[in-house]
Amino acid sequence: MPEIFLNGQSVQAREDQTVLEVALENGVFVPYFCWHPQLSTAGNCRMCLVEVEGRGLDIACNMPVSAFMKVFTDSDDVKAHRKAILQFITLNHPVDCGICDKAGECTLQDYHYTYNGDASLSADQKVRSTKYYNLSNRILLDNERCILCLRCTRFTHEVSKSMALGVERRGDVSNIRPVEDRPLGEDPYSDNIVDLCPVGALQSRQFLYKSRVWYLKATPSVCPGCERGCTIQVWHRKPEWFLKSLDARQNTAIARITPLENPAVNGPWICNKGRDLSRIFERTRAVEPMLKGRPVPVAEAVDEARRLIGAARHPVALVSNWGSNEELDSFKRHLGEVFVHAHVKTDWQPEEGERIEDDLLIRADKNPNTAKARELFDETQPAYHDGTDLVLVWGEGYDFAKIPPQAKIIFLNSYLAPENGHADVFLAISIQTERAGHYTNFQGVVSRFEPCFAKGKHVLDAEALFKALEAPPRGHT
Amino acid sequence: MRHLIPEFERLRSRFPAGFESSLVLPCVRRIQEDRGYVSDEDIAELAKYLGVPQIQIEEVLSFYTMFRRKPIGRWHLQFCHNVSCSMNGAERILAHVEKKLGIRPGETTPDGRFTLSVAECLGSCGTAPMMMVNEGYHENLTVAKIDELLAGLK
Amino acid sequence: MPGRQLIMSFPVTATSHTLAEYRARGGYQALEKALKTMRPSDVVKEVTASGLQGRGGAAFSVGRKWQVVVYDDGQPHYLIANADEGEPGTFKDRWILEQNPHALIESMLIASYALNVRNCFVYIRGEFDLPYERLAAAVEEAYAAGYFGERILGTDFSCDIVVYRGAGAYVAGEASGLIASLEGKKSYPRNRPPRLTVKGLYQRPTVVNNVESLSNVAWIIAHGAAAFKEVGTPKSPGTRLFSVSGHVNRPGVYEVELGYPWMKFLEEDCGGIVGGRAIKCVVPGGVSSKVLTGAEIRDLDLSHEALWDVGSTLGSGGMIVIAEGTCMVTLAQILMRFYHHESCGQCTPCRHGTGWMHRIMDRIVAGQGRPEDIERLYYISKFNDGTTICGLGDAAGYAVSGILDKFRDEFEYFIEHKRSRCDGNLECLRSS
Repeated sequence: MPEIFLNGQSVQAREDQTVLEVALENGVFVPYFCWHPQLSTAGNCRMCLVEVEGRGLDIACNMPVSAFMKVFTDSDDVKAHRKAILQFITLNHPVDCGICDKAGECTLQDYHYTYNGDASLSADQKVRSTKYYNLSNRILLDNERCILCLRCTRFTHEVSKSMALGVERRGDVSNIRPVEDRPLGEDPYSDNIVDLCPVGALQSRQFLYKSRVWYLKATPSVCPGCERGCTIQVWHRKPEWFLKSLDARQNTAIARITPLENPAVNGPWICNKGRDLSRIFERTRAVEPMLKGRPVPVAEAVDEARRLIGAARHPVALVSNWGSNEELDSFKRHLGEVFVHAHVKTDWQPEEGERIEDDLLIRADKNPNTAKARELFDETQPAYHDGTDLVLVWGEGYDFAKIPPQAKIIFLNSYLAPENGHADVFLAISIQTERAGHYTNFQGVVSRFEPCFAKGKHVLDAEALFKALEAPPRGHT
Repeated sequence: MRHLIPEFERLRSRFPAGFESSLVLPCVRRIQEDRGYVSDEDIAELAKYLGVPQIQIEEVLSFYTMFRRKPIGRWHLQFCHNVSCSMNGAERILAHVEKKLGIRPGETTPDGRFTLSVAECLGSCGTAPMMMVNEGYHENLTVAKIDELLAGLK
Repeated sequence: MPGRQLIMSFPVTATSHTLAEYRARGGYQALEKALKTMRPSDVVKEVTASGLQGRGGAAFSVGRKWQVVVYDDGQPHYLIANADEGEPGTFKDRWILEQNPHALIESMLIASYALNVRNCFVYIRGEFDLPYERLAAAVEEAYAAGYFGERILGTDFSCDIVVYRGAGAYVAGEASGLIASLEGKKSYPRNRPPRLTVKGLYQRPTVVNNVESLSNVAWIIAHGAAAFKEVGTPKSPGTRLFSVSGHVNRPGVYEVELGYPWMKFLEEDCGGIVGGRAIKCVVPGGVSSKVLTGAEIRDLDLSHEALWDVGSTLGSGGMIVIAEGTCMVTLAQILMRFYHHESCGQCTPCRHGTGWMHRIMDRIVAGQGRPEDIERLYYISKFNDGTTICGLGDAAGYAVSGILDKFRDEFEYFIEHKRSRCDGNLECLRSS
């Protein structure tokens, strides 16, 4: 375990570490653009130059530690070099922060104010390049803003292995370009390069011009797209910035989704499906309870459900594998004795064209909580018979044609669907962005999600509902 | 590019095992020699044949000055205009050729006969000024020599 | 003749490059001596003892570089002769490839034996025509004579060679850029560590040596390290091939015994300056070496130490002689255009710095220079010095700062008066 000196302070390092890693681990910040802990070392931005006694300046990201080396990360020479590197990086940079989505979370902006602050020393025209290059149907590339750190390129070669990106030409007319035959759009991890890009060169079309980032807050959540359960950040408007003059929907929309770094599950990545969760969460909602399609007050619907449950001799339940740990536990505790036959339902199947499974993150089971559901309930398909008189369906994805015609139906769903009107009792329930809870992924890792939005007035939380359904209906002794 | 595969196989056997990636440059050069330029189909076929990512070949084609993806004139005239050649009259010779052919560097004569380019040092400084005509060096150029040379290039 | 000749030691004829004539001059006896009477480590010792310095640019000890390779580490090793020769002013490796290719080949065989190399390569710039043909023909001759292949000369040593053609990139002359190119990729140089002698071609220990450096090995093994050290100076043993061009009457490739007086070389061997003019300055070793004025070289010898002492270097041996009346500002513009064109674009200071310097020089030459341009050029050079992945950025900086150091007044004049103080014409017409 070699000992090295950072700005005079002794620190312990591991033999296989670089000076940059040791510095960051010990709270000594050395600025960098191209380095990333999950990618190979490129060493091209030259921003992490540090001074080593007896050796002069060199980049820290590729510098092995050696015993007793004396490293200075803030000497005058280092400071002068950082300023110069930033002068070079911004030499041809358009500095169009006013129209760039990255403003507010841009490494170049931050470093400019921290380490440079001066205007450009150049009296010459900037090199121009393509500004709205269609990298894929999801990502726009601005080559003028690009600093050629090659994080995006390395990601497609080393992590997603789509080999989709490369560099055309050379010198200051180099441009990131996608391979010509297979568009980057086929890479289900493509959008991670938008997170990786330290400047505003790569922009997500979904998010383009939607909002300035400082108006948004990021709420931790879990992606329900498959049983990997990657942790994510759901970005939405901060309450103090709610705009009363706009359609209320704007205040409660998902602005974008980014990964929440998680060494145990997904590292710093998520797949594109996780970015597109508004496709799932922002479908038209079921807003109120109904009895055979007739809207009724919540109390009346709950009461009717209690009555049906109390009267049933052979009830069967289809339990949602999108239910949270808390909801599933609640069902087991409160309705487990009544619904002896409770079967795990697979709410979502893989869609047409969706990648089924791979070595990276994507799993074949497109549901977030199968693990927990199977722990508590029966994995097999329900066996109906002529005596089946009540079927409780919780969540989406069940073929109602399978339900025996004589059985009553209690249906719990979040989204608008034709079956909602067929059920004897329909109850509208909340979705994960409206409450706190946990999912258990296929490895047994339990991850938490937090609420982003308020639920509708007549929408119920399943966890509390199951408890309410346990009590006998009013009017019984 | 398929008809070149037997040649590529022979070339592959000259390299140690596992050097398929190295074959990109020589194969591209041979394809270009054969076709006059490298086509999109060539890129896809070569990538498959060598088992390298297609993007690698695309990068190589745009990085190196000797490769091209479009055809040019029958005779490619490349004039060095670096230091020693400039000190020995390269600019004067080039101006003469530009006037004679009516084209500037980067252009091709309308009849498709000549394409004119400038190049950086070609390693011929002692016999400056000089130019390449396709694959060959022509050194110690004078205006008279060039006129004679060009007349002979049909 | 500028001193003793080791490599250009025979009259060049239409056939002097062939195997038969090379053998008639004693060729391939050194190989026999090495394979049959020396151990690989003996060869490394001999080359190290000779003091042979690299002749591609850095003048690093060839033997010291070889010593990093661990003979028996159980993995493939590679030897690559760098024949990319792209440094402006340099054309001396070309002479070896055209006129004495077997000196290179025999030397590479000896080096491969010493370094436990089974597969060696010559990386030759893609534009060379005759040098490639002569080298390829020599390789075929060597194979036919049994100098390549299995069990060479009846010993356990086996070796194969591939001549690999570049495709037009000066940066492929940088050792790690060369390796990237030999791997079939764009020529992006690599950061060190790891050194190439530890992880080089396909991450294996690789020795990259200049053609001329290697070509000395056969002579050293044939005659011994002591004999080599008797030639040249103690700090610069041996000879160097200089490619002389520019405003001399007899440009060409000359082998100079190191320590030979510079002015004598230029005035006698090279025929003096065109038109009888005075020497304004000389680029000693390729444009990446710092320019020296006529006054500065007056009493200098051609040796590594003499040039290091005056802040320059013999570099690639590309000597460009510049006569009085030549506009140094225009020359600097050509150089900045060159570096800008050749920058691979990987790292920040060089990618933007070379373009910036080129644009500044274009502006000055177009009569739109600004007073702060000189300081800008110095600024860009300073922050390309030691900050880049490879030496191209540093070289671009040295080229311009070297000229500025010696000829600042010409730049100031050009900026102020919007034209050259000389006639702006670089060409120096010959007197006859």
